[in-house]
Amino acid sequence: MDLRAGDSWGMLACLCTVLWHLPAVPALNRTGDPGPGPSIQKTYDLTRYLEHQLRSLAGTYLNYLGPPFNEPDFNPPRLGAETLPRATVNLDVWRSLNDKLRLTQNYEAYSHLLCYLRGLNRQAATAELRRSLAHFCTSLQGLLGSIAGVMAALGYPLPQPLPGTEPTWAPGPAHSDFLQKMDDFWLLKELQTWLWRSAKDFNRLKKKMQPPAAAVTLHLEARGF
Amino acid sequence: MRFEWEVLQNENPEPMALFSVFQTTFLLALLSLRTYQSEVLSEPLPWAPESLKVFINSTHQCLHLQWSVHNLAHHQELKMVFQIEISRIKTSNVIWVENYSTTVKWNQVLHWSWESKLPLECAKHFIRMRSAEDDAKTPEQSFWSNWSSWEEVDVQNSLGHDPLFVFPKDKLVEEGSNVTICYVSRSPQSNISCYLEGVQMQGEQLEPNVTVFNLNHVAFIRETGTNIYCKGDQGDSIKGIVLFVSKVLEEPKEFSCETQDLTTLNCTWDPGSDTGLLKQLSQSYTLFESFSGKKTLCKHKSWCSWEVAPESQEMYNFTLTAENYLRKRSVHLLFNLTHRVHPMAPFSVLFTDVSTTNATMTWKVHSTGNYYTLLCQVKLYGEGEVTQHNVSVEVDGEQLFSGLEPDTEYRAQVRCANANHFWKWSEWTHQNFTTAEAAPSEAPDVWRNVKSVQGHSVVTLFWKPLSKLQANGKILFYNIVIENLDRSSSSKFLSIPAPANGTELNLDQCSYQIHVTAHNSVGTSPASVIIVSGDPGNKEVEEERVKGTEDGFSLSWKPQPGNVTGYIVEWCDRPRGPLCDLQWKSVGPTTTSTVVSSDAFRPGVQYNFRIYGISTERVPYLLEKKTGYSQELAPSDNPQVVMSNLTSRSFTLSWKDYSIESQPSFIQGYHVYLKSKAGQCHSGSEKAVLSDDAVCCKYKIDNPKQKTFVVENLQPESFYEFLVTPYSSVGEGPHGAFTKVTTPDEYSPILIRVILPMVFCILLIMIICYLKSQWMKEKCYPDIPDPYKSSVLSLIKSKENPRLTIMNIKDCVPDSIEVLNKQEGTRKSLTETESSKPTYLYLLPTEESYSGPGPCICFENFTYNQAASDSASCGHVPVAPKAPPSQLALLTSPENLLKALEENYMNSLGEIPAGETSLNYVSQLASAMTGDKFSLPTNPPEPALCSEYKMQMAIPLGLASPPSSGSSSLSSFTLLDEGEHYH
Repeated sequence: MDLRAGDSWGMLACLCTVLWHLPAVPALNRTGDPGPGPSIQKTYDLTRYLEHQLRSLAGTYLNYLGPPFNEPDFNPPRLGAETLPRATVNLDVWRSLNDKLRLTQNYEAYSHLLCYLRGLNRQAATAELRRSLAHFCTSLQGLLGSIAGVMAALGYPLPQPLPGTEPTWAPGPAHSDFLQKMDDFWLLKELQTWLWRSAKDFNRLKKKMQPPAAAVTLHLEARGF
Repeated sequence: MRFEWEVLQNENPEPMALFSVFQTTFLLALLSLRTYQSEVLSEPLPWAPESLKVFINSTHQCLHLQWSVHNLAHHQELKMVFQIEISRIKTSNVIWVENYSTTVKWNQVLHWSWESKLPLECAKHFIRMRSAEDDAKTPEQSFWSNWSSWEEVDVQNSLGHDPLFVFPKDKLVEEGSNVTICYVSRSPQSNISCYLEGVQMQGEQLEPNVTVFNLNHVAFIRETGTNIYCKGDQGDSIKGIVLFVSKVLEEPKEFSCETQDLTTLNCTWDPGSDTGLLKQLSQSYTLFESFSGKKTLCKHKSWCSWEVAPESQEMYNFTLTAENYLRKRSVHLLFNLTHRVHPMAPFSVLFTDVSTTNATMTWKVHSTGNYYTLLCQVKLYGEGEVTQHNVSVEVDGEQLFSGLEPDTEYRAQVRCANANHFWKWSEWTHQNFTTAEAAPSEAPDVWRNVKSVQGHSVVTLFWKPLSKLQANGKILFYNIVIENLDRSSSSKFLSIPAPANGTELNLDQCSYQIHVTAHNSVGTSPASVIIVSGDPGNKEVEEERVKGTEDGFSLSWKPQPGNVTGYIVEWCDRPRGPLCDLQWKSVGPTTTSTVVSSDAFRPGVQYNFRIYGISTERVPYLLEKKTGYSQELAPSDNPQVVMSNLTSRSFTLSWKDYSIESQPSFIQGYHVYLKSKAGQCHSGSEKAVLSDDAVCCKYKIDNPKQKTFVVENLQPESFYEFLVTPYSSVGEGPHGAFTKVTTPDEYSPILIRVILPMVFCILLIMIICYLKSQWMKEKCYPDIPDPYKSSVLSLIKSKENPRLTIMNIKDCVPDSIEVLNKQEGTRKSLTETESSKPTYLYLLPTEESYSGPGPCICFENFTYNQAASDSASCGHVPVAPKAPPSQLALLTSPENLLKALEENYMNSLGEIPAGETSLNYVSQLASAMTGDKFSLPTNPPEPALCSEYKMQMAIPLGLASPPSSGSSSLSSFTLLDEGEHYH
């Protein structure tokens, strides 16, 4: 389907019309329990916001670490960052995840990442950087709460941290400063990947949670525009 | 960061062969001799180092040696020297030899450390040592023990199995240090690249799997350290280190301690640059006092508080130590506490007994103990002056200020210091006060402007506000007393509230004495007196030009012989403005010159000065007038020139409206520029080249009042351009747009004189013709009556023949044309009539009496007019006489018509005007009508028809037919013969 500029305007007009008529759709006009839909949407929005926020924070922090960490093509092997939760997953595996597992993985990942991030904040030398990191930690805490809310709305229990597995920020003497910087680099990178993945997760969940009656199918014929 | 690569291994120069052989021989001989001596002269040394152990500190790149010396007797102390050799990579590569001297006791464990520049992980190291008795008297005769066995230090064995290592790990150095870095690769075939801050480094291979990099004079880059990393070409392995480069710790500068209250010492210093890093905290500061032995860790980087001991310790010896991970720096300060008193600022500053000229200032100081006297410094600022006083104070201070100005605000400030041992002044404490008002000390400077309006004098009084020193307070109002000098009994009193600086008085022609006084809240100023005379005394004085400068106008005048109490120079600051802004300057009687300056003077503005003398009776009288410019400017405008009297040879220019008084400089005359194609200049003018390189003639007018100029000697029908511009001493006006003019030709004025009246006459005739058009029409081309609309028709129809009708011209089929020519009897002269008598072709019989038949063209149709044809008559009749237009009106009634017809017929027979030519159309209808009953008694054939058509021929013959001339006789001919007639 080849959409030209005129087509985009047509699509926009169609979308506006649909949005205008949405209140009239009985399934969407419910006044009772809205279900997990709004909270999933909010979580999705928060994810996108954090994604945007992290972009500037990571730029500042990697400059603070110095080259090569702030070089755009720097892609070191993932050394010494094994404790960080991996966001990368096989596509088939990701598709096969059920909602509970999906949300649980998100929750666990952000719990760990938040803990590491707080350690990062304690390490930071400049006040401005500490302020930025603290602000981001607060936002990430909010995302964690939001995910917990979604899980509660769907009736899933929150994962309990196993005793003794609480991640700590205690670089030992054997852990060199360079490796520590690598860890910081990977923390930010994983955090970014997790935010991308979460955006997809919540988008998928959002679509899935939409009631069938409320499903508004937009069948757009390119010829119509 | 600068990199310098150095070879760590020594290279032995290859000696020449002969020298080598000789040297070897000599050394062997020497060695044999020493061996012999050892064996022969003494036994091997019993105190050889034993139990040598080597400990490795990788972080500090240090080797710690530990050994002991046996065979020492109990309580025996022996001064020994230990020679230590360190080799790198292999034992033969000795890189360090050091003699370590110490006193050895029985059973003592000895230690020695060595710091390697190269990280210990980069290469194997070998250590051995030997000992000798340290004989200070004959050190050269000491005999060494045998070398211990080589101790090998190999850290690489314990590194693990990673493919790549970089050393040293996270080293902390000071800025400017030299650092050696190496990487150890487990796969020698792999190509390793190392980077410093993203820049690839070039190293020196130490071993097949070890490469070293020497960094010299490393610099501080960031708190998080300098990143150095290496990676293989496969990209699967990356190892790095962070080199923390700290700034060099500086010695604290400007270390000083002082007290304000003798209970707390405040010590301050300049810490210099911060040496803090991510790995290292900023430097710390410690204050140590040696007399009391107390020590405190300072919480701040640049200052520290120290509690003064209650036992009144006077002397203090402080040591301030700055310390970081790498270095310590200390400074010392020894002082007596009483010499370091920095008093607090005085307080409670008050002013008492403030009068017009005096005031008393009091203040308090903070107590610093009973033994100290303070020296206080008092400064008084007022009216741009500063006075300073020093006062010795113990508790309260007091200072009297005198000689102050009334009604003046003063600013007083005070500070204090230890009088016995001056250390520092306290901060200033400020306070303001204002002295009381006094009566104004000076009379206001008064001047007047007198105008006579309808027999009255309008006197405008001006006075200058008193200066602050003269007013001694705020002026509230001005009192004016006007005394009539002619009638001493009458006087007038006015009070003008401040800040007015003038008033207007309407006085009669008498003389008045006016007193002006200024008043403030305390009293009255002396009066200023001025006489306004009934005679204004504005005698005609010639105006003199003066030249102004940037500093003003320098005016001088002739001294007056009589008694003069002073002079006044008067001018307007804004002569072009409506209010003039009158100014004046008073000078003494002995002064005959002054310089008038004003900020209001502007370049290009003419200022007029009038100089008055003040008589002893205080009557001012005009002495001189001066005028000038502070700076003359070139004229900015050209006059509006009117051109007149344009002839083929000259024209006149005039610019009567140009005002020379309002110009930015004294106009000296005018330049008239004249451009012409010819480019020739006549006498009285000179050639000039304008800024646009145009050449023109320039006429110069020296008299600025001459505002007309006649440009002469011009060529007729030529194009000229002219410009009139004023000039002054600083230049002339702008060369703006020239006015274009073309001279007329010489004859056109004459032609105009002739043509114009002619055109006027023609127009007049045309107008008359237009106005009399009806009359003209009637005279020249009257309307052709329509036979259908004729009343005659109805008359005929009703009376005679109902079949009778009017012939339509379209129905008339011409049969023949007869051209008739008839002489005009009455209008032409006899000679003309005779000479132009035509030749007639009579188709019908004519009568003798028919004297003047006109030419007649007869169209006959014989087909329809058989009778006529048979009778060889075409039925036509002699042309009926034309009925005059006046007679037409008579035909409206049947009777009249009949009469008219009869008369016409008779006239046609006897009185047809000569010269009329007419065409007679004779048709079948006409014949029929003729043959009918309608006929008159004296009826010739068809007279009526002919008469009817006669009426149509009112056009003058001259217009309808070719004019007759003497040579061309009129002829009558038949255009068609019978055979050619149309049917």
